[in-house]
Amino acid sequence: MNMQAIDSDRLLTIGYDSCAASCGTFMVLDHTILEKTSKIKGLHVIPLDEAFERYPHVKDRLFFHLVDRERNEFTRLAASSEPVGYYVLVDEGVRIEEPMQAAFLFGGTDPVQIIHNIIELRPGAMLNIVNGCTTASGCHTGRHIGITETYLCRDSSLGYTMLHNWGKDMEVFPVGAAMVEEGAQYLSNYVAMTSVKKIVSYPTAFVKPHATARFYSIIYAREASCFDTGAKTVLEGDGAGGEIISRVVSEGGTVISRQMISGNTKGSIGHMECSGLLLNEKGVIHSVPELRGEHPDINLSHEAAIGRISDEELSYLMTRGLTEDQARSLIIRGFLDIKIQGLPPKVQALVDEIIDRSISGSI
Amino acid sequence: MNFLEIRDLHVSAGGKEILKGVDLTVETGRTAIIFGPNGSGKSTLLGAIAGLPGFIITQGDILFKGMSIKDMPVDERSRMGIGMAFQYPPAVKGVRLETLLKNLSGDQDLVRSHADLLNMTSYLGRDINVGFSGGERKRSEILQLMIQMPDLLLLDEPESGVDIENISVIAHALRILLEKEKPISKRGRSAIMITHTGFILDYIKADIAFVIMDGHVLGCGAPGDIFDEIKTHGYKQCGTCFAEKYRDMCVEDL
Repeated sequence: MNMQAIDSDRLLTIGYDSCAASCGTFMVLDHTILEKTSKIKGLHVIPLDEAFERYPHVKDRLFFHLVDRERNEFTRLAASSEPVGYYVLVDEGVRIEEPMQAAFLFGGTDPVQIIHNIIELRPGAMLNIVNGCTTASGCHTGRHIGITETYLCRDSSLGYTMLHNWGKDMEVFPVGAAMVEEGAQYLSNYVAMTSVKKIVSYPTAFVKPHATARFYSIIYAREASCFDTGAKTVLEGDGAGGEIISRVVSEGGTVISRQMISGNTKGSIGHMECSGLLLNEKGVIHSVPELRGEHPDINLSHEAAIGRISDEELSYLMTRGLTEDQARSLIIRGFLDIKIQGLPPKVQALVDEIIDRSISGSI
Repeated sequence: MNFLEIRDLHVSAGGKEILKGVDLTVETGRTAIIFGPNGSGKSTLLGAIAGLPGFIITQGDILFKGMSIKDMPVDERSRMGIGMAFQYPPAVKGVRLETLLKNLSGDQDLVRSHADLLNMTSYLGRDINVGFSGGERKRSEILQLMIQMPDLLLLDEPESGVDIENISVIAHALRILLEKEKPISKRGRSAIMITHTGFILDYIKADIAFVIMDGHVLGCGAPGDIFDEIKTHGYKQCGTCFAEKYRDMCVEDL
């Protein structure tokens, strides 16, 4: 299958637009790399196997370094396969405003797609990546394993936005970990609005002194979909900060939202929130917040709430002439509306568009 | 044809009968005031006309523009031209005021100019009523009505919790909505307004007043006369005098 055979509408659902301005691109169909570009000096977008040749440290010190290859059956399977994915490197001090686009398409040529990506930002570098994953048109069944290892050197900044639009019978197992060195900032966003059989994901960030890691996730679980997702932040340096925010809507699907922040250093601050909205009686939202403090001068907090749409709010909006469906849609859209601090407007607009499209098509 | 006609209306809320046979008529272009002590059924009457859930009509009928609306859902009544400013509007977390107004009108200039009129421009980007003071909520309600442009306004204590300066802002907006600069015969909108304090009457001229006590309309008459009566004698003492003095008056006499 070549690029012409790929339904461009599918790519647009995960924010991949060849015509849009970007600093670089990377696209994979099953295990074939279809596109790789780098349009800015100091940004290197390289297939991982090539990176092993050109940058020996990638294989020696970065590959399966943050993620244990023996962690589970999926990491073992990935470790035993030829690595397909990108190595993205941003040179020291290079700060890039324009987001990079990456797309991973599952076409069904192989029953299991295995991807391994490594991101490295050198000191003071900055990058935003929009990482989209989807299935080709007509392809609903299969399995995707995605390993992502992220290395953020001192004072660097990464915005990493993952958009999922899988087929309804796909099983997806992303495994991610990030090392956030002193003064660095890591922002991870996850948006999944469409049907999927199962997604299991629990990325971890190790946060060094005065660095921050923030995880935001927006999940809309439709009937027969199961999400077991969350994030873990380990505050390992004085003044480290962590935040995990999730908004979950269940329209009959099951969501287990696991969040953990642990810290053992002075002046660290961590906060987590899980808000869930149940639209019918078939859905389940199970929030599992965990806080672990090992230093007296640490501040960790969490909020969690699961509920339904209030009848009072619904009828209030209906007195303005909105139908029940319109009012419901407005409330759900508002519930999912997290304005993420530090997210480039272009990426925020993309996230907004994806949520709008999904909700208007479902309610 | 009467604009709004309520016939022998019985309404229950929370399993208790609140309205016990209300008859009331409002003509096109008129502003009616409802007086009554706490718990007399004033808000229940507005809720029943608007079609809010929880207000069960057990007997009687509500005719709006000649059509029975008692079985009509709240949104259909709204689209027929009924709009309500709530006494205690709920906070709608996540839905920005501007987003709602954009859904009601595609005219952004109109939204901006009305928001400006009501000193609400800086609130457009905020979630509806979240963290709003009492007065801000009331201004938000009137702003929503100005965009909605209903034919019948149900105003549940529009001045309560509002400072003097902002009562005049709200009253100015209501005068525009109710086309008070035109003669009655040329006005297209009507209103039913509940007031406890009567302050709003210093700013908006009402055409007729009804007194409700214990779920019944005791009488109707000129708003100034009735308000003076209430101020002088109170509701309790004047329960019977209202009934005797005003029961035969009706809107055609005004």
